[in-house]
Amino acid sequence: MKAETPRQIGARVLRLEDPRLLSGRARYIDDIRPANCLHLKFVRAQVAHARLLDVDTSMLADLEPAVTVFTGKDIGKLSMKSHQDYPEMQYAEQPLLAQGRVRFVGEPIAAVLAEDAYLAEDAAEMVFADFDFLDPVTTMEQALDPAVQPLFDHWKNNTWVERQMKGGDLQAARAAAAHVIRRTYTNQRHTGVPMEGRGVVAEYDPGQRFLTVWSSTQMPHLVRTYIAEELGLPESRIRVIAPDVGGGFGVKGQVFGEEVLVAWCAIQTGRPVKWIEDRRENLMASIHARDHRHTLEAYVSAEGRLLGLKADITVDIGAYSTYPFSAAGESGMAAKVMPGPYDFQAYEATFRSLATNKCPNGTYRGVARPSAVFSQERLMDDIAREIGMDPIAFRLKNIIRTFPYRNVLGFSYDPGSYVESLEKTRELLAPDFARASATAGDPNRRIGVGIACFIEQTAHGTPDFTRRRVPIETGYIAARLEVMTDGHVLIDLGLQNHGQGLETTMAQVASDALGITPDRIYVRHGDTSAPYSVGTWGSRGGPLGGGAVHLAATEIAGKMRAIAAHLLQAPVGSVQLGDNKAFVSDQPDRFVDLAYVARSALRNVDRLPEGMAPGLAAEASVDGPKDGSYSNAVHAAVVDIDLRTGKLKLLRYVVVEDCGTILNPLVVDGQVRGGVVQGIGSALWEHFVYDAEGQPLTTSFADYLMPQAPEIPMIEVHHFETPTSLTPLGAKGLGEGGAIGPPAAIANAVTHALDIGVTGTPLTASVLWHLAKTAREGG
Amino acid sequence: MTRITLTVNGRKHVVEAEPRRLLADVLREDCGLTGVHIGCAHGACGCCTVHVDGSPRLSCLTFAVQMDGRAIRTVEDLGGTEATHPLQQAFRRNHALQCGYCTPGFLMALLPFVEAQVSAGQMPDDDEIREAMSGNICRCTGYQGIVEAVRETIGDALAAKTEAAQ
Repeated sequence: MKAETPRQIGARVLRLEDPRLLSGRARYIDDIRPANCLHLKFVRAQVAHARLLDVDTSMLADLEPAVTVFTGKDIGKLSMKSHQDYPEMQYAEQPLLAQGRVRFVGEPIAAVLAEDAYLAEDAAEMVFADFDFLDPVTTMEQALDPAVQPLFDHWKNNTWVERQMKGGDLQAARAAAAHVIRRTYTNQRHTGVPMEGRGVVAEYDPGQRFLTVWSSTQMPHLVRTYIAEELGLPESRIRVIAPDVGGGFGVKGQVFGEEVLVAWCAIQTGRPVKWIEDRRENLMASIHARDHRHTLEAYVSAEGRLLGLKADITVDIGAYSTYPFSAAGESGMAAKVMPGPYDFQAYEATFRSLATNKCPNGTYRGVARPSAVFSQERLMDDIAREIGMDPIAFRLKNIIRTFPYRNVLGFSYDPGSYVESLEKTRELLAPDFARASATAGDPNRRIGVGIACFIEQTAHGTPDFTRRRVPIETGYIAARLEVMTDGHVLIDLGLQNHGQGLETTMAQVASDALGITPDRIYVRHGDTSAPYSVGTWGSRGGPLGGGAVHLAATEIAGKMRAIAAHLLQAPVGSVQLGDNKAFVSDQPDRFVDLAYVARSALRNVDRLPEGMAPGLAAEASVDGPKDGSYSNAVHAAVVDIDLRTGKLKLLRYVVVEDCGTILNPLVVDGQVRGGVVQGIGSALWEHFVYDAEGQPLTTSFADYLMPQAPEIPMIEVHHFETPTSLTPLGAKGLGEGGAIGPPAAIANAVTHALDIGVTGTPLTASVLWHLAKTAREGG
Repeated sequence: MTRITLTVNGRKHVVEAEPRRLLADVLREDCGLTGVHIGCAHGACGCCTVHVDGSPRLSCLTFAVQMDGRAIRTVEDLGGTEATHPLQQAFRRNHALQCGYCTPGFLMALLPFVEAQVSAGQMPDDDEIREAMSGNICRCTGYQGIVEAVRETIGDALAAKTEAAQ
């Protein structure tokens, strides 16, 4: 495609969505206010594990104005079901309101509906649940103890699933090894915590028999399908709209029971119903993430070649299996990605997901990879330390160098810049390694440099989900483009934009194909009016959504050229599109406005070539390639630790990354930096703490600590650009990568500074104080 | 119910409010100013920051009845629907926002800081800029674009002042 206008793809285009966000004119879920709306407040379990004997709502009976209340007795069999079709997996459902048993603090017990949110909250406090307490399961050890009673009566133990993945000959690798290095690493329970919590508004029109649901979700079509199936409604009579969404990070990449229940309440009451999650609910009962423990055993040759890896992976999934990635997803993903960017052909992983009396564990930016990369990259440093090699030299000795590379589990890696990224990082960090050496014997402070080298499978689609038998089942993204009579374009995009800049990048992609400037392209998204798609998650929007827009726009461009050729009396092959015009190549004065072409296609169809059908619309979808497409990156952290107090200061943070074709560098850098800072939170502060009774101790922002501006350094981002042949535009995914590297890079920097192998996160002030004390006394 | 009079973005509003009703709810629901966002409702994230008589204040920790007779300014008043205020424009140029939920709170918290620096003729260093936003949480951007936007806004205003003086 030639175009006279400057190419949009790759340009630093300022975001088209910004004015409404900056001016306070965006519409988030709490800004959706249907007339005559009821406000819903959940009564949630205050105990982690109990038989639920009775829910007493009698005190609500005489309230003025009247309130409505529903409990588990009212909802029949409505529940959340998310089962991965593994023979070993134990099946469980979560009733939308608890029936007979509660399994975590925060589980919904009753829904109270009142005339305003204040009254609903008052009324909810007058509902009393009668519990018969059961012993809570709050640790991995308890969950693995065969003597402990299972969370579900028909279960044989508290393991959702335990399976293996393997490839190559691990016995031979072990036999050939000069060094066997075994370590256990842990990552704490934390999550994405978007600044806007969840929320649902539902309205049922009995005349049309039509249900409209607004939800702060990343996946409106999946919400629609689940509601249709669960409530027995035709899917044609449901529309789900995600309005402006105030952050998602994977937390809103699930279908939640609350979404189904609010819709059901709207049908039951005949009035619109609105539920806005408060922050306490969000922290204790939306979705948690990570909570991994990995034991790795590496077999290494005398020359420092990694021969094989054995992994034992345990994840605390909590009380229920979340839809559509299920209780098996997190541990399975960790097992799948653990081989990483290194060349070895013997691997065996056992992975298991445990049930405990905690909030369900689901997806958060990176999905298992921050934990897998933490273990993999801490292990690489621990091996290098043990065999006396420089950590970067050790990685360079084992890094994959030829592509496509078939990894030990059979996944094919498309080309990347693995070696170049490591070498570039080494070059960028040279002054910091020198600074670190200079403080090596300092009694008061130490500087350390740590890196994390990783790949990220992105753009994965149907083949990957089929292989893993994930309930999501499919992974394509679709878009429908329509050129209007005035030459403006409407894109109905099957993605949902919650900060990724899709309204801009998708307009850039369409612009290059259509020759229509981005200011004339409106991207509508987060709405089931768009063609069916599974939503925005998994670093797939750019490569797959962008690919779909490109294909549909290219089809329309072909028709516009044919019409223009007819109007200009020129051969089709000579017609080019650009700057909102169709023109004859080399004769820029022979042109027709694309608005005129569009009007000819839609209104003045007598101007069309004979036999051509009217209309200027096209739809396309793109699925992920068989094994996805692999982005790669190296992160480096430089830390300064005060040996007297353990106080850690991040002096520098560097990212060298490769996500293939860059659609918009402004957006790419923003995604990387934002992800890194979330990852810094994972490394240092963010932690959902439970006590031995299963009570969450971190239910406000005073307890759950996230990165704030003063602790964060500038994040330097450097790029390599290795386009992939596997997606239409050469783009790989990049939304999650930023969050994957920091726990490993920072832990390696602390290890380097203190010469003590760090085994887990978060590296809180008290952990660092103890490490510094040990270093001080040891040194 | 208590009857109170608020001047919001220059317009007088007479509101009947229960004493427990939050200023944030009155601004959002009675005045229709939904640019006021509630992020935590316990005063820790800064999303709901508005100006009361020119100073930043958390509208989720303020009862509306405390504000009788006061002048309140929200993000809607800064630069209209096109977000034309120099600080808003600098946010856009520097990609200082992604999902946009925290953005009104950052703008309202930082504007008095920017104005004070400009009137004092000072360019703050990055640590001072970061300290000025330490009461606000952004989960998307990693803060870097916001720091750059503040620096650029102050820089442009100082340059304009210098030019005007010459």
